[in-house]
Amino acid sequence: MQLNFQRLTALIRKETIQILRDRRFILLFLGLTFVQLFVYSYSASRTVYHLPMAVVDQSRDPSSRALIQALVNSQYFDATVYMDSEAQARQAIDLGQVKADLIIPPHFAADIDKGSANFLMILDGSDQFAVASGYNAASLVAQNFGLQLTAESLARSGGLPAESSGASLPIVASAQVLYNPDLNDRWFVLPGIIGMILQTLAIEQAAIFLVRDREWGTLEQILATPIRQLELILSKMIPLLGLCLLALGMSVGLGVFWFGVPFQGSLWLYFWLSVLFIASCLALGLLISTRAMTQFEAETSALIFMLFGLLLTGLFYPRIGMPLIPQLIGDLVPLTYFLRISRGIYLKGIGLNFLWNDALVLVLYILVVVFIVSKRFRMRLD
Amino acid sequence: MLRRTWALTQKEFIQLLRFPLVLIGLTVGPALELLLFATAIRTDIQHIPMVVADQSLSAASQSYLTAFTDSGSFDIVASVPDQAGVVHAIDSGQASIGIVIPADFARQVVQKDAQVLLLVDGTNSYVTQTAYSAAQAISQTYAIHLAHQQLSPLDARIQVLFNPGLQEIWFLVPGFGAFLLYGIALKLTAFSVVREREAGTIEALLVTPIRPLELMLAKMIPNLCVAVVNMIFTFTLGIVLFGVPFRGSLLLFSVLSGLFAAGSLGLGLAISSISQSQVQANQLASLMNISVMFLSGFLFPIAALPPLLRMLGYIMPMTFFLPIVNGIITKGVGLNELWSPILSLAALTIVIFLFGAWAFRKKLD
Repeated sequence: MQLNFQRLTALIRKETIQILRDRRFILLFLGLTFVQLFVYSYSASRTVYHLPMAVVDQSRDPSSRALIQALVNSQYFDATVYMDSEAQARQAIDLGQVKADLIIPPHFAADIDKGSANFLMILDGSDQFAVASGYNAASLVAQNFGLQLTAESLARSGGLPAESSGASLPIVASAQVLYNPDLNDRWFVLPGIIGMILQTLAIEQAAIFLVRDREWGTLEQILATPIRQLELILSKMIPLLGLCLLALGMSVGLGVFWFGVPFQGSLWLYFWLSVLFIASCLALGLLISTRAMTQFEAETSALIFMLFGLLLTGLFYPRIGMPLIPQLIGDLVPLTYFLRISRGIYLKGIGLNFLWNDALVLVLYILVVVFIVSKRFRMRLD
Repeated sequence: MLRRTWALTQKEFIQLLRFPLVLIGLTVGPALELLLFATAIRTDIQHIPMVVADQSLSAASQSYLTAFTDSGSFDIVASVPDQAGVVHAIDSGQASIGIVIPADFARQVVQKDAQVLLLVDGTNSYVTQTAYSAAQAISQTYAIHLAHQQLSPLDARIQVLFNPGLQEIWFLVPGFGAFLLYGIALKLTAFSVVREREAGTIEALLVTPIRPLELMLAKMIPNLCVAVVNMIFTFTLGIVLFGVPFRGSLLLFSVLSGLFAAGSLGLGLAISSISQSQVQANQLASLMNISVMFLSGFLFPIAALPPLLRMLGYIMPMTFFLPIVNGIITKGVGLNELWSPILSLAALTIVIFLFGAWAFRKKLD
């Protein structure tokens, strides 16, 4: 297949003018990016604080009050109501008034001295977020509370000073979180969200490319000209690539200046690897458009990739521990590779020496998909 | 009038069935999705890859590391000489957590002042949080054990009501079924009017004696059928295959699902009437679908949303339907407990439906 660059540039100019003329399309394109970035970044947090909790304190001593205080201080629970019986508290969960019950049995302080104290935490299992946050928080608070008690008794029996809870233990592990010291959910989410938005836009727009011309009947006109397949495809894809890069620049700008997530790595490298990523998504969209006969089919297929992107690439749900088949399907989505690239460059500031294999996979991906497209793509009407 | 509506409905059914691929996609697709996601989504993470810089290489450090691997939470994937090596392994994505044990660890343990350093990759939400808390817990437990103490004088029992085994799929199925019902009803209806417009057949329909209400019903009934079949399919799959318990009243559930479906159809009708083209209708419908995923409490908790987005969530029927489905299926509660979301859902549905009917009417004139 031969390329005539004069014809190609003329075609690209035509497509660019067409896109630029359609102000509504550009506005919608950038507007959608903007809105999605904001909505996802602000909403994609799964941690719930201040779960309403019913307290049944049958002990009413300093130790039980300290435990309640420790749970409230963790910010995960609010002691909303105090109740007299466990049955009442359970009913409060049924009614949806509270998400958790704390039941402290009688003689709590005395049991602690004997070393056999216990308490019961009941969580509303119909609310997955309450369970996820509440379960971890309750076990962590209980663990720290228990540790403090242990340290105190250790100090009493061993004669060690009890000034701090950790000091009396033989091993102290200090943990340090790299690249995200405050464990801020938004830092995790942003570089991935940018990839997901770009992937959705690129696949969707490329997918309706052929179909739209077919539905509008403009395909016939193009067929009557001496334009070659490759020229036609490139002339449609290059302006789209430009538009996607514009959306990328806007997203990174918002990420740094509005959301305050610092960009650690090389912008230049990020730019070039993003070009690879967007190109692979456009190729995928093209592949869809060779199959789909109507815009509805094209859009639905594009949406499936978005759903896979959401759930199987490691964007929100970890790929560690995912069974083989979902993992393999995730491997077919370009976002899987770009996630590592985006998080790596944006948050970690690492370079090509760590990312070359992901970049290589994207290059191979483009080559393979373009090869399939060129086999399937026929400039025909039927 | 009934006869006319029936005839029109039949016509719509035939149109719908003409594209078997779309229909298969609409019925088998969601079931496959459910299967896939049910097996893929895990929030309890095990076997987190760990890199070790054990400069002590003593019995004490070996025993300390065994505590980590025995827990099942961590797999040691590499050993490196120093802290720089640990950071390198985390940078390359080989490991998500690293541990640095100093050279004189064994002596320090005897003197009871050993220090180890845990380095956690902070770029992957779930893994980071799990690795962080699990590693600290394991280390503390080991240290307390070394001090010859009983583990803890306090025993916390945590009981999860309605889902004692903490099965992810139990959380997923009710919301997923509702989401399918909503998404499919909305999407199919969103295309209904605008398709006729683009094809130019709407004029042909307008010259017939068909009334707007009849046309509206005829457009909705087939879509409702597909959506309901889909939802029943999803729930049956969830109940039979994954053992999700259905604890509440099936009758109440059906009535409220009908109400919710009506709201979704009304929304689809409104979109279809507002849109100029199929592409626009599709974009609007996708936007609604995605916002529902993020803002209604389906994928992310409402409580964590900023106020403005929370307000947006409250104009979506799904926000009120989710507590209803969860309440009926998982909790087994009824009208007594659920009257507040039910009232909100009903009010919202009426408003949406009236708006949809109004927009549709306007389009026909």
